[in-house]
Amino acid sequence: MSARATVGGAVVSGAILALGWIAGAAMPAATTATVATGTGTSGSSSGSASGSTGSSSSGSGSASSGTGSSATSGSTTATTGATDGTYTGSSVSTRFGDVQVQVTISGGAITDVTAVHLTDHDGKSVQISNRAAPILAQEVLSAQSANVQMVSGATYTSRAYLESLQSALDQAGF
Amino acid sequence: MRHAFETMGTVASLHLDGPVPASLIEAVENVFADYDAEFSLYRSDSPLSAIGDGRLRLTDAPARVIREYERALDWNRRTTGWFSPHRPDGVLDLSGTIKAVAIGDAVELLASAGGSGLLGVGGDVAAIGTGIHRIGVVDPRDRGRVLADPVLDARRAIATSGSAERGDHIWSSLGRTDILQATVLADDIVTADAVATAIVAAGTAHCGDLLDALPVDALIVSAEGLSATPGWPRVAS
Repeated sequence: MSARATVGGAVVSGAILALGWIAGAAMPAATTATVATGTGTSGSSSGSASGSTGSSSSGSGSASSGTGSSATSGSTTATTGATDGTYTGSSVSTRFGDVQVQVTISGGAITDVTAVHLTDHDGKSVQISNRAAPILAQEVLSAQSANVQMVSGATYTSRAYLESLQSALDQAGF
Repeated sequence: MRHAFETMGTVASLHLDGPVPASLIEAVENVFADYDAEFSLYRSDSPLSAIGDGRLRLTDAPARVIREYERALDWNRRTTGWFSPHRPDGVLDLSGTIKAVAIGDAVELLASAGGSGLLGVGGDVAAIGTGIHRIGVVDPRDRGRVLADPVLDARRAIATSGSAERGDHIWSSLGRTDILQATVLADDIVTADAVATAIVAAGTAHCGDLLDALPVDALIVSAEGLSATPGWPRVAS
């Protein structure tokens, strides 16, 4: 019975957490940066994206040659003055399938990163990374949370078990 | 039926959908007792204690000890070193995997006898049979509360590691980890347990590389708040 009450209380703490997240929420630019560095292999795809800058923008060669060295050393740095435009990296094979990324640079900064090709070998859409990203508390706690059958938590000692949620569940019989 | 028993310094909770013979429950308890007798560092007569204080050479140890050392080393490799069977003082400690290995064996035993339900031991939970079960994840900041309630469906096991409960449980070359708790859903309990431990040891700076390389879902609590892998169960909106 007490377990049921405390589980219900978690919804309240979830709401507080959610506010905390909004207050400290990452800016959209930071979110796209996460996408760019989201996988180990996307680093190489952004590398090839800057490579395609050189080849595709041969018409504006004088401008790009001036920023050539900085563009190769750090194409994502806003202060290098990368040439505005949209660049598409070459397709990279990952554990999740083939991935191809498009980067939009405006005013010398990356303003958008889009996955233009995300398919596995069956042609279905796939996730490009298994990394953990910030999530709102209410996204992982359902309305059925009072009906949990068992509890997962950091290892408790025999003594701590008696005060644990699992102990309450074992005794409550639901 | 429900049954709880003490083992490995913690408590095992067995929830089965129907009645089972007492002999099966006894066999399950023996699975844990056998591993504990061989691997506990709290028993001076265990082979692991004898290896730890130099009375027994690892190469002369019982076959199961060598096999479990190999398994732990394999997880050391698969987590690029973040999970380790060696304590900082050099003593071989296989308790990081043995509890999960025992859970896996017990689940197999129960399932082969037609049982279905859940087996939880000290915060690690594995499904027995094919049923779908809702599991509560403890909030490390308030242990009386549930933080998340994923369902054991395709993934059959869930394990949680924390930096708060047992300060000596996670050894990290980083010193103090910035992760309060990591919960992992995996196909089997050994994977879930080893990866949860590795995530806490790796900290937020390094756990991304780990997760990218392993077939698991994870929910992480750090000072920054919650984070989850794309596959962690979301509440339908």
